[in-house]
Amino acid sequence: MSRTILEVTDLRKDYSQRRGLFSMLTGQGRVIPAVDGVSFYLRENETVGLVGESGCGKTTIGRTVLRLTDPSSGRIVFDGRDITKMSRAELRPLRREMQMIFQDLDAGLNPRMRVRNILREALTVHERPGDAEIAGRIRELLEQVSLKESKLANFPSELSGGEKRRVGIARVLAVRPRLIVADEPTSALDISIQAQVVNLLRDLQKNLGLTYLFISHDLPVVELVSQKVAVMYLGRIVEMGLAENIAHQPRHPYTGVLWSSLADKQTTEVTRRVTNVTVERERRTWGVFDFEQPASGCRFAPRCPLYKDKGRPAVCTDPASEPQLRDVGHGHVVACHFA
Amino acid sequence: MRRYVQTPGPIGEFSELSLAQRAGPLDLLYTGYGLLVVVVVVASYVLGAFGWLSHDPQAINVGLINAPPFTSGHLLGTDFLGRDLQARLILGIQAYFLPGLLAITISVAGGSILGVLAGYKGGWFDTIITYFDNLLDSFPRLVLILLVIAAFKPDIYYVMVVVGITGMPVIANLIAGKIAFLRQKSFIEAAHALGLPAHTVVLKHILWLNCRALLVIQATLGMAEAILVETSLSYLGFGVQEPTPSWGNMVQAGANYFLQGNFWPSTAPALAILATILGLQLLGDGLNNLLEGKRRK
Amino acid sequence: MAMDAGPLLAIENLRTYFYSRAKRAFIRSVDGVSLGVARGETLGIVGESGSGKSVTALSAAGLVTAGPGVISGRIDLHSNGTRRNLLEGLENYARFTEQDGRVMAVEKDERGWRKHSDTLMAGVRGKEIAMIFQNPRSALNPYSTIGKQLVETIRLHTNFKRESEAKERAIHWLERVRIDSPGLRFDNFPFGLSGGMCQRAMIAMALSAEPSLLIADEPTTGLDATIQSRIVDLLAQLKTETGITTLLISHDISVIQRLSDRIAVMYGGTVVETGRAAEVLAPQATARHPYTAALLASIPSAETIRRKSYLQAIEGEVLDTIEVPRGCRFYGRCNRVTDAIRENCAGIEPPLAEIAPGHKVRCWLYPAAEKA
Repeated sequence: MSRTILEVTDLRKDYSQRRGLFSMLTGQGRVIPAVDGVSFYLRENETVGLVGESGCGKTTIGRTVLRLTDPSSGRIVFDGRDITKMSRAELRPLRREMQMIFQDLDAGLNPRMRVRNILREALTVHERPGDAEIAGRIRELLEQVSLKESKLANFPSELSGGEKRRVGIARVLAVRPRLIVADEPTSALDISIQAQVVNLLRDLQKNLGLTYLFISHDLPVVELVSQKVAVMYLGRIVEMGLAENIAHQPRHPYTGVLWSSLADKQTTEVTRRVTNVTVERERRTWGVFDFEQPASGCRFAPRCPLYKDKGRPAVCTDPASEPQLRDVGHGHVVACHFA
Repeated sequence: MRRYVQTPGPIGEFSELSLAQRAGPLDLLYTGYGLLVVVVVVASYVLGAFGWLSHDPQAINVGLINAPPFTSGHLLGTDFLGRDLQARLILGIQAYFLPGLLAITISVAGGSILGVLAGYKGGWFDTIITYFDNLLDSFPRLVLILLVIAAFKPDIYYVMVVVGITGMPVIANLIAGKIAFLRQKSFIEAAHALGLPAHTVVLKHILWLNCRALLVIQATLGMAEAILVETSLSYLGFGVQEPTPSWGNMVQAGANYFLQGNFWPSTAPALAILATILGLQLLGDGLNNLLEGKRRK
Repeated sequence: MAMDAGPLLAIENLRTYFYSRAKRAFIRSVDGVSLGVARGETLGIVGESGSGKSVTALSAAGLVTAGPGVISGRIDLHSNGTRRNLLEGLENYARFTEQDGRVMAVEKDERGWRKHSDTLMAGVRGKEIAMIFQNPRSALNPYSTIGKQLVETIRLHTNFKRESEAKERAIHWLERVRIDSPGLRFDNFPFGLSGGMCQRAMIAMALSAEPSLLIADEPTTGLDATIQSRIVDLLAQLKTETGITTLLISHDISVIQRLSDRIAVMYGGTVVETGRAAEVLAPQATARHPYTAALLASIPSAETIRRKSYLQAIEGEVLDTIEVPRGCRFYGRCNRVTDAIRENCAGIEPPLAEIAPGHKVRCWLYPAAEKA
């Protein structure tokens, strides 16, 4: 049983929207919970996938867990150490152990620095290797990410998408991390390159014993690489469990809807079923939601096929009873009154 | 009709091209001229500072008043008191050279600090600095300068401090904007995530690598501004006073003789002002395109 | 139906080039592409970045502005009983010299061609050929309500010239694209609508002009997963309802699969395979272009996921259309080269040849190619 490398309890991240001079001066303003009470844990050398539509808070979780932004409340424990309230200075040495692959391919790639210098800088942040050692390590990194040596002299603007992604990964590997939060590592890349990157990430995990928090909206890839998957909706985890179960036997209606949107596009796949309600029947266009005023009670109710199917039960919209995550067997948790 | 030709042979990478190849011809021209002006000005300043002048700029020669250029011994002619114009022009540079440097040092340094605080720290800093910037911007500069002159003494250095301070908002805004752009690309966040300390991120990544072109350009433009202010003040009589030469007061002095047909004493310094300011502005423009130019693919 | 014989849109040997001043070389985005879209069918063009699929569409719509742009080819549009070449007279404005079969210099009167092209496209763009793009919100005018923009289009391109009838039509179209409360949405500005709704509004605008051809350039990219499937549903429904001819461009194979009758696969500026959708994308197909096969294999299938096996990624980088190799463009990355054909693959570009009725492939592996 491998140890837990990251444990997140009741994480909350609010963004306040200050409007106008007055509310700025008085410190008032609307509070929007991007992450609203999220708990999960990662075991060493494991991959946990985090899926959801844009705006659900998955990227925010990634950034908060690494303390790139401060949580509003909750607890983050990395390798046994509580890092929730650590100061920047205390965090610095820990930074090398937990890294992020950013969604933006250009993140961390200073357009004025050649690849060689970008990597060199990464290698000298936490250590002071000599020139010979640096050269050796750079070669090692290039090999690990399958990048040609000729690319060392290039500027980021001369690299293709796939190459940029590899340099970004190499940069992160330079500090020898143990945990990597991968935020949409394959988006904005061509399909054939996506496959390369996914294979690369899996190889690295195998060879270096890395742990991944894999944030993505590419459901098949998430299912492929993750052992466990957490599904997020409007700032909360609505279901979490083993990847196969989440994909093929979802208990939460939203999970079913999410995976079936895949099925809709490919007529060759079988339509998913959620309990006894075929999501196919849901044909109505969904309205726009106002994230700032989440529906009272269950957030998913306005879009939920189960809600309609069961004749709009009052418990779904009762503000006092927002569904909490319940264990439905073997560690699989769901937040739904009817799952 | 536009003609496109592909180079025969292997196609090189962009980074391998030298600066001269990458640049547009107009930009090279602008920058070249601008650099020429800077070199001439600096050289002249040095000459003047050491007193290596062909004539004593204060030497009055009543016999040779308002002599045209190419008069024997006086390459650029003389002014209304027979003083050598070339020597006076060279000496006139002192009126704005060091003060101008003071002004741009204040605005670049001050503007950078404000810009970095506003962009990097964000939040309250951003708000306060924005308000401060707007406040400074809304003051008419010349009025402020005249106030300072009236309140203190008509010292060009005091004036240049004002010029420097009023030049800070522009730079602060540009830098804050650059930082906002970098932030959007997760650039700063990624640097932090790696563990780079804040001072490295600010000094190396933001200022040196991304903003230095911007700052150099603002410095050249700021110098042009300073020259304009100094010469205007001297022209109006508030700046450098006779007999010390300043391009501004030389224009003023020569103005009296303009209508008599003696164009040169007034025109020479005016042309000097024009050429110099134009040179600095073009230098700023040319450098902007050369250094900041989008890498055209 | 003699008048309806022949494809609605026939692109023949289209070449659209751009120029990199920095590298002093041509970017051969579309390098000899020939395609046909039959009346009432949806042709899906699939490819990765640099394949030239978007530029092909833009060339067909006359929207290429960068230089040199379109330099040769024909684009025949058969509609309303007339047949016209949208690139008529191009030879008078663009001249090029070749060396070793490769274009090395181009002379183009860009201003003249633009004027000429605009004249040719007047009455065609927007009316006979309608386009929908990626990023729906940025394609709509942010300062005008979607209703007003719709009415404008309708009055411009159809016979409903009166404000009142145009408005009726506009609301009718909003209904047809399944926007909820069309009467209310009429007065919404684009920023008040979600991405999915903006896309529906754009589809409404395109179709309200009752065009003969719809060009959809990455219509689902950038939208959320669940919204994407809704838009795909909508497009499928509209296709059955209106029978409109569509040129669909996407890098998302599942979208192409769901909506296309025929498919063209593009790589490095050329078409490497065309055929009926079922044939080209069939999982167990034997005869197909290695690129198509490899592309399909790099997407996780149910089997791959079940076994948690590695994806079959294609080696190397996608072709950069500046350094176009001699011979087959896919040669460097192809995993099916045999010694028998290696010489051909490396030196001569294979022609597009028919390997089965309606199914063409550009590859030396197929005997038909050799005969061609």
